[in-house]
Amino acid sequence: MELDETALSGLIEESQDTHADAIRAVKEPLDGMVDLGQQARSRNGLDPDENRSFAGENRRRLSATAKRAGGLLAATGIVAAIAEFIGSPAFASSGTDVQVLQTASSIEVLAVATYKTALTLPYIGGSAANGVIKAFATTTMKQHADHLAAFQAATTALGGTKQTKPDPAFVPVVDKAVTSITKASASAGALLVVGLALELENIAAETYVNNMSLLTDANAKKVTASIMGVEAQHVAILYAVQALLKGGAGADITLPPPAAKLPAAAGKVGFPNSFYPTSSAAPATQGALS
Amino acid sequence: MSATDPVSHISDAELLSMTRDLDALHHDLTLPALKDSLSEWTEEIRERTAAGEPEETEQRMFFDRRKFLIGTGGLAGGALLAACSSSGKPASSPSSSPSAMAGGEGQKLSGDLQVVAMAASLENSGIATYMAGIKAATAGKLGTVPGAVVTFAETAMSQHQDHVQAWNSVLTSSGKQAVTAVDSVIQPTINTAFGKVKTVAELAALALMVENIAGETYQNGLSVIKSAAGIKTAASIQPVEFQHAAILSFVLGQYPVPNSFTGVSSARPPSDYHT
Repeated sequence: MELDETALSGLIEESQDTHADAIRAVKEPLDGMVDLGQQARSRNGLDPDENRSFAGENRRRLSATAKRAGGLLAATGIVAAIAEFIGSPAFASSGTDVQVLQTASSIEVLAVATYKTALTLPYIGGSAANGVIKAFATTTMKQHADHLAAFQAATTALGGTKQTKPDPAFVPVVDKAVTSITKASASAGALLVVGLALELENIAAETYVNNMSLLTDANAKKVTASIMGVEAQHVAILYAVQALLKGGAGADITLPPPAAKLPAAAGKVGFPNSFYPTSSAAPATQGALS
Repeated sequence: MSATDPVSHISDAELLSMTRDLDALHHDLTLPALKDSLSEWTEEIRERTAAGEPEETEQRMFFDRRKFLIGTGGLAGGALLAACSSSGKPASSPSSSPSAMAGGEGQKLSGDLQVVAMAASLENSGIATYMAGIKAATAGKLGTVPGAVVTFAETAMSQHQDHVQAWNSVLTSSGKQAVTAVDSVIQPTINTAFGKVKTVAELAALALMVENIAGETYQNGLSVIKSAAGIKTAASIQPVEFQHAAILSFVLGQYPVPNSFTGVSSARPPSDYHT
């Protein structure tokens, strides 16, 4: 099947035309948060006791998460150091919702940077790339940039400082993965890129699912809820792409895919869970500013 | 490999081995966590009921019927909107008709339990849609149906069954009846649309509408559910419905992740549930 890149671009533009409702879903809560931020600033900040309690709870949760997680978080080897950092007085100095939103921003910063790097590879963003993969990487990077802007706007609306740095726990692992990717062949590299993207997307989705029961501000919840499903959709597509690449069926990564050619099990590879897990969620304060 | 080869190199066995670890993780970690959340939620509801705490049902009516219908029309087209507006008996119905699945209405539910009942009835509509689609495919009414599409429908239906079981466990643990009825507002729309389905693509488009409504309903539910445990439950389901939607869009040749943010304009309001 020939891929018509012009048609694909048209589809993306068409979908973006129907974006107005979705934009409203995030804009309205952000507008509603501005007053809260002004109130917080007028009080010269947020409750330090509440922040310390929240940081302590997250330290306990981080320990439990480290035992369970099998991915990036477990591989960092710096979980203990982060736990120590979270418990330090310097950390417990901003509002709990702000901390959660800063961590979300730090994940988005890393996601944008990772896709940007991936797009410099000839087999992801260059002339040798599969058109669907290239379009997906390009569009997904833009969507993460939108998420970053939304989380940062929510942070400042609540009186906090926006996070512009990547999540410190995941940076070394991503750097190591990128080094491996640059040394790999095109076929092996494409699989490594998809694997890395999949892990980051899952961390983002699981973190935001987990954050829904931690956030206290109604509008911060609305913003997060409008983003977590999108990350889960990225995960679904990446699972499908990964399965096709692993099976040597990269040519079948087309839009639409050749459904009649695919084995029956391909129909369930994109959404393995009835309930979205949180075992790989980043601790809610991991990417917060001190 | 040429894209015109008749069979993909990837096999069922390879694909199943890829998902085995995820299945194990799901059963070892996710399901126990969900069970804990459901128990915690039920306990909170019992405590609020025992304390005579009033439920703020009126404040939860964020979306009126008209707004919902407009949203649905955007997803499914004008014909469906007109069918739903007539709001009466379904023109035709999937195999699991409303009457066959009736149950759980008239319990005078409010607050979180009303949200739960709305969710359960919407899941029942999703199950009925997939069930009817699989039956039509099996009967050869949709032409040649790829095996991967059948697997998708069976898996998505199974996941919706898991969801409705979760919702109904909250109801029954709170001393209420399980909801086995379909969503009485959306079902006529589904039935009318299903009556026109002649191809796999048309069935996929209908399923896409249902999945997007489900995802948006849970997203809205996250703003109205009081209990933290209830929020955990709804939050664990919303992304799964949107994943179903992404795969359906992909199969239909539409860009699978069309928006940076998911909205709530097509969400089903808890107030529509027949208490």
